[in-house]
Amino acid sequence: MVGKILEEIKTTLAGIDIHEASYEQKGYHLTVDAQKGNILDIAGFFKGRAFYLEDMCCVDYVDYLEIVYFFNRYIELCRVKVTLKIEPDKSIAPTISNIYTMARWYEREVHEFFGVYFDGHPNLTYLFLHDGIDHYPLRKKQVPVPEDVKRLLNSYKPEEEEDAFFVNLGPQHPSTHGVLRVVVKMDGEYVLSAEPVLGYLHRMHEKMAENRSYLQFLPNPARIDYPGALFFNLAHVATVEKLCGIEVPERAQYIRTITCELNRIASHLLWLGAFPADLGALTPFMYAFDDREQILDILEDVTGSRLTYCYFRFGGLYNDVGDTFIDKTKNFIKRLRERFSMYEKLITGNVIFVNRAKGTGILEQAEVTKYGCTGPFVRSTGIPYDIRKAEPYAVYDQVDFEVPVGTTGDNMDRYLVRIAEMEMSLRIIEQAITKLPSGPFKAEKVPKKLKPPKGDIYYAVESSRGETGVYLVSDESDTPYRMRWRVPSFSNLMTFPALAEGTLIADAIATLGSYDIVVPEIDR
Amino acid sequence: MNELIDKIVGIVGWEAIRTILGVVGVLIVVVFNALILTWAERKVSAHIQRRIGPKEVGPFGLLQPIADTIKLIAKELLTPQNVAKPLYFLAPVIVFIPVMVSFVVIPFDARLQVKDINVGILVILAFSSLSVLSILLAGWGSNNKFSLIGSVRSVAQNIAYEIPLLLALLSVVLMANSLSLKDIVEAQKGVWYIFLQPIAFLVFFIAGVAETNRTPFDLPEAESELVAGFHTEYSGMRFALFFLAEYTNIFIICAITTTFFLGGYQGPILPGFIWFFGKTYLLVFVILWFRWTFPRVRFDQLLNFSWKLLIPVSLLNLIITGGILKL
Repeated sequence: MVGKILEEIKTTLAGIDIHEASYEQKGYHLTVDAQKGNILDIAGFFKGRAFYLEDMCCVDYVDYLEIVYFFNRYIELCRVKVTLKIEPDKSIAPTISNIYTMARWYEREVHEFFGVYFDGHPNLTYLFLHDGIDHYPLRKKQVPVPEDVKRLLNSYKPEEEEDAFFVNLGPQHPSTHGVLRVVVKMDGEYVLSAEPVLGYLHRMHEKMAENRSYLQFLPNPARIDYPGALFFNLAHVATVEKLCGIEVPERAQYIRTITCELNRIASHLLWLGAFPADLGALTPFMYAFDDREQILDILEDVTGSRLTYCYFRFGGLYNDVGDTFIDKTKNFIKRLRERFSMYEKLITGNVIFVNRAKGTGILEQAEVTKYGCTGPFVRSTGIPYDIRKAEPYAVYDQVDFEVPVGTTGDNMDRYLVRIAEMEMSLRIIEQAITKLPSGPFKAEKVPKKLKPPKGDIYYAVESSRGETGVYLVSDESDTPYRMRWRVPSFSNLMTFPALAEGTLIADAIATLGSYDIVVPEIDR
Repeated sequence: MNELIDKIVGIVGWEAIRTILGVVGVLIVVVFNALILTWAERKVSAHIQRRIGPKEVGPFGLLQPIADTIKLIAKELLTPQNVAKPLYFLAPVIVFIPVMVSFVVIPFDARLQVKDINVGILVILAFSSLSVLSILLAGWGSNNKFSLIGSVRSVAQNIAYEIPLLLALLSVVLMANSLSLKDIVEAQKGVWYIFLQPIAFLVFFIAGVAETNRTPFDLPEAESELVAGFHTEYSGMRFALFFLAEYTNIFIICAITTTFFLGGYQGPILPGFIWFFGKTYLLVFVILWFRWTFPRVRFDQLLNFSWKLLIPVSLLNLIITGGILKL
């Protein structure tokens, strides 16, 4: 596939600078050096070949800014890194938001952090930051925001429109699971448009990463996504390990798989409780939390914390697991299997629930590449895209599991996919426990002060919400030169305006609930 | 002493004394019912959700509602800016009066009834449809978008569900040949109407749940959509009045169901009022059970359910009942 794409690009787009990269080392297959003149053609080319915009970020190399686009495919993996060099002062780049809708948010993000202007962007305002920021935070040298531009950078203010009924769902609203704000324009009970407004939980983890060593940053990823803390912990640790070439012992890899899958179940259970609560059924919440509590107990024993785990270390784990962990996990698997039949009766078999969830919030399979959705969200449309299968990490290539997919991509499918995924996770845990080898749980001779070689790497893991990727640029110092987090909820949420438009407000809220968004993850 | 009583009776008449006593009794029932139901709701929900529920205040947490009431009374009454003050203040008061009046005609026992009016059921229906007015006032007066949507939903819902409610009762009225609640109870000496009119019972109970704005029909206060619906801006004792009215409404709907379909106060051995309250609270429990099991229906589903299913079914039921009685 990679060779075919390479040939196609060479023949279709003349005069383009394209190279093959070492996937084993870099995490991407191809690199393309784009120019301002041909970036739109390149994006259009990838769009036409069912590539999705995986990530888009910017790196400040002081002499120039480099905008990095990652394109990838759901079927037959082929990750392409497209770079676009632009001048550091008065930097202007063409927008690709007409081709990839998701780029609207990515470009706003690059704009507020680096001061890059995107020509033709429909709404180039701040996404996360508030109006009072006087410099671009991710630039290496302090670059002030021009005075005359400051006024233009105000956040989204829809209330100025006349003759429209606006409702603010959030930032304090029961259905937004945190501090997401959705500005909904309504006509009676119907939603005319819904615009998410982000940034209420923005903590600038990407900047924090640049200011501390790799080891010091260890606790941070857990705060980016609190229900799926271990995935983010793993994404950070594994990226650095791969860049430094640290070998991880097999036992550690197995334990990573087991704990990650436990965390996935815990995260899905949290969602399983919250989704019916969005539909008005409050009891499943308590039942799901009852089960989730068991996982938290198990994980507390080995990691020392109940929510924001910091368990993985460079080259292994914080500590080894004992027999009690194995026994407890086995008991839990037995217990949860019994409980599934109860959820079946309580939720899946409930006629009101089915009527509410079926046929609402339908995501068309053809639309997903525009947004770059991942995780259960994209699997519900029938695309079996799972990083665990596509580019196996830890020991996912040594266990037997399937990727559950839906058919229509409605709320019910998203529910069923997540339920099936929990069962699949139980299967993975069972296999991993039987295969668990003995041996060391930590690599020897991992230096205390990590100084990865110069270069960049993209590494992704499958978190409970989708593809969690880290794009790491190292300059051989003990702190990252740039650490970019690609988070799944961010690109999943982008579909919300399209899915909510024209539906009843109750359906829009059910749809929002089915996303399983985690706001700290979106805002970072 | 006797002379004094005779004198008072001579001045005001038996009827007035009976009414005063009745009003006091109704007040006691209303308040006690609300206290019991707040406790019951918390306990029932707790046990359905595998929790314990309140247990600290008093035995089994029985005094918890009293502690809550004291808290609510002691709270400062906040008035948000820009509310329509007369409407905002009036709504919690108005919500309470109609439900009180409904109690007057309910026969708790053969002799325990404030007043047996020969159009008793009309009184109840007339006054219970007034409560939607206060919800509308609250929603409009609060100057809050969530409140407004909630109250508008409530009006549409009440209009839609009052019709099947009425039609279901009519088929019973046809059979009992009376609008007086006491006559209807007496007519069930042999067989309860739930067995003769099972469809009317189901329609009435479903419509009743919708009338009281309880799950799965709690759209006016749908907390995941509208925060708290029409009472979003109310706090303290004003909120408590809405709360009290809601629980009283539940009681009334269950009491009417008991009267019309479950033989009212009739039952062997035990005194009538125990049978009455037992049956009523059994139905109340069912409503609480609904709340903690079902999700909420969507607005269009709610209206479709009434207009496309409940109304035709109850209408058909009424026609068949009339036809059979005529034969």
